[in-house]
Amino acid sequence: MSAPSSFPNPDSNDLDRLHAAVKREKADLAPGQEPAPMWVIFLFMIIAIVAGGQLGPMTGSFSFNISNPFSTGQSGDPRPGNEGAGAAADPFQTAMKKGSSGYAVCGGCHQGSGMGLPGQYPPLAGSEWVLGGTERLIRVVQHGLVGQVTVKGQNYNFPGGMQPFGAAMSAGDLANVLTFIRNSWGNEAHMITKEMVEKVRADEKRATQWTMSDLEAFKDKDVPGEIPAGPGATAAAAK
Amino acid sequence: MQTSPASTDTQADNLRRAAIDKSVKGPVLFLFLNGAFWLMASTILGVLAAIKQFAPDFLGACSVLQYGRLQPTHINALVYGWGVQAGLGAMLWIMARRSGQELRVGKSVLYVAAIFWNIAVTIGLVAILLGRSTSMEWLEMPAFIWPILLISFLAFAWPMVFMFGRAFRPEGFMVSTWYILGACFWFPWIFITANVALHCLPGLGALGAGINAWYVHTMILLFFAPVAIGSAYYFIPKVTGKPIASSQLSQMGFWLLAVLGGWTGMQHYMGGPLPAWMPAVGAAAGVLLLIPVGVVGLNHHLTTLGNHSLVASSPTLRFVFFGALFYPVSGAILALISNFSTGATLQFTQAWYGFQIVALYGFFSMTIFGAIYYIVPRLTGCEWLSVRLIRNHFWFSVYGIGTIVVTSLVAGAQQGGDLNSPEMWDQDFMQLALNLRPYIIARAIAWALITWSNVWFLIHLMLMVAGLGRRSSAPTLLEHEHEDVLPQAAHA
Repeated sequence: MSAPSSFPNPDSNDLDRLHAAVKREKADLAPGQEPAPMWVIFLFMIIAIVAGGQLGPMTGSFSFNISNPFSTGQSGDPRPGNEGAGAAADPFQTAMKKGSSGYAVCGGCHQGSGMGLPGQYPPLAGSEWVLGGTERLIRVVQHGLVGQVTVKGQNYNFPGGMQPFGAAMSAGDLANVLTFIRNSWGNEAHMITKEMVEKVRADEKRATQWTMSDLEAFKDKDVPGEIPAGPGATAAAAK
Repeated sequence: MQTSPASTDTQADNLRRAAIDKSVKGPVLFLFLNGAFWLMASTILGVLAAIKQFAPDFLGACSVLQYGRLQPTHINALVYGWGVQAGLGAMLWIMARRSGQELRVGKSVLYVAAIFWNIAVTIGLVAILLGRSTSMEWLEMPAFIWPILLISFLAFAWPMVFMFGRAFRPEGFMVSTWYILGACFWFPWIFITANVALHCLPGLGALGAGINAWYVHTMILLFFAPVAIGSAYYFIPKVTGKPIASSQLSQMGFWLLAVLGGWTGMQHYMGGPLPAWMPAVGAAAGVLLLIPVGVVGLNHHLTTLGNHSLVASSPTLRFVFFGALFYPVSGAILALISNFSTGATLQFTQAWYGFQIVALYGFFSMTIFGAIYYIVPRLTGCEWLSVRLIRNHFWFSVYGIGTIVVTSLVAGAQQGGDLNSPEMWDQDFMQLALNLRPYIIARAIAWALITWSNVWFLIHLMLMVAGLGRRSSAPTLLEHEHEDVLPQAAHA
């Protein structure tokens, strides 16, 4: 920012030239008083409506706890396992949800519809084995079942029978799957808890599969145990 | 003052304005010159960063010259080296002129502040290149830099606020100085809020990213935009000799920008882990801003209507006109990236860079170039040397900026569309980024064009500041086909 006047300048005294730029400037004027045109106001109304559209459904009820823009505030956090913001999870609903994913193991034979395959795999839907005594049901799944089986009046005898799945599953997972099959495809029965499965495991430590005649004694026997209050206790359907 | 048409003594008025020019001459020229230097540096870094994006082996494996360091240095040089600095120069001159106030005391304070500003920017940019970046957008400079920048800014804002306070304000509403006064207050507010939140408060988590995006948006909307609009409101009537079309529109444009500007930003993270209402409010404000933006655009249109021949001949008006034209364009792009339907596609793509450049360069910088072409001859007492250099500066900038903005938006639409497309599920992110190569090559070429024009702009400005400009009482005009117009009535 060296000043041009600081070095010898033949015409630095020429005030007219020095101020030429200033002199040719035009005077500042007060702004005009034209009002805004009417069509502009209408255009802005449309913009405001579009802008309101960004706000309306997207705000999550202005709650600090909701990051999902489509949430209405009632449905809460949409992530699984966190059903109903604030409310404690219902044990029966939780068991049904977890059991439905655990059922993937069973579905290979008994099918997603729970109907089994005629002549090969017995059905679960409406089966007296599923809806009857929980003692027998738990034992079948825990230790497996071999030989001829009669379900809903039909005879099944799949070579090798049903494998003992209990060894590979936790008591909780097994209880969830059993609750699920007892309350799906039209089935309705009270839920099976983790404690019931644990009790059976403690009572019976066999390494071989059951046969139908072995289990005749447990046919109508329920494992004792406390069932959480709610739909699971009253054998209400999940859907 | 000058605003009163009943000025009895024209000679006294001329001398008074010359005295005002003289009082702010040193600081303003210092800011413009350093700003132009940083602008050139920024555009060179822009070329390098763009090349690194499509040819990562370019310049070898030296860690200083990798994209991750070049890109933030490029943007920070553009924002703090050029943008705020040149903006301050234009603000100071316009505020002094429009208020009719000389800079009475504290000129040396302004020099010191300007020098410290440049030292801080230099240290900050070198620190980014050496890998000390904070990795927060537009705030990459190390944490100790911002207090220096803040104090330097306040040293300039202080006399401007006083000039405004002392001014006789006959029409009750001085559009250009209101915008500049606003910028004097808004910059410290934004800068302190963002820096204190991000550097001093621990553990903000996702909200920190939101505050960062808020900072970038509000810097554009509440600092760069007001300075540029204030300049446009000053220079368009000044060059055309016609008053601003509507004071009602200008008040509307100012107050709506003031109210809405601070609400945008969080929509950058729409669908992200922030409370849903924060992006929603940002998106709504981003769309609503079309109103003040449109109001100002309309006002400028009505003011220049019938004077478009002056756009061809006056360098100032040509740059300011182009910059003012790009204010609505920037606003439209902001609405595009802010609303939930198109924003979901353009989010986290090259379109974001396109918006920053259209606002910072197409709108702000072009307007400030116009201001510089007007102010500098009055401060140095000589006229711009070369019509061809000015013309080159204009056309290279226009084509360069146009290319960068258009290719960035198209690239962003392609990138975002591909990323969101269910049919592209088997394409990884890198492949989609690589598909953008043609656009990035165009960007590198465009920055090279702009660099070329800015090298000559810097040389031209240096010659002017050295007092080596044309010795003449006639302004440097771009076209002379209207020979009937007398030099005294000329418009530069």
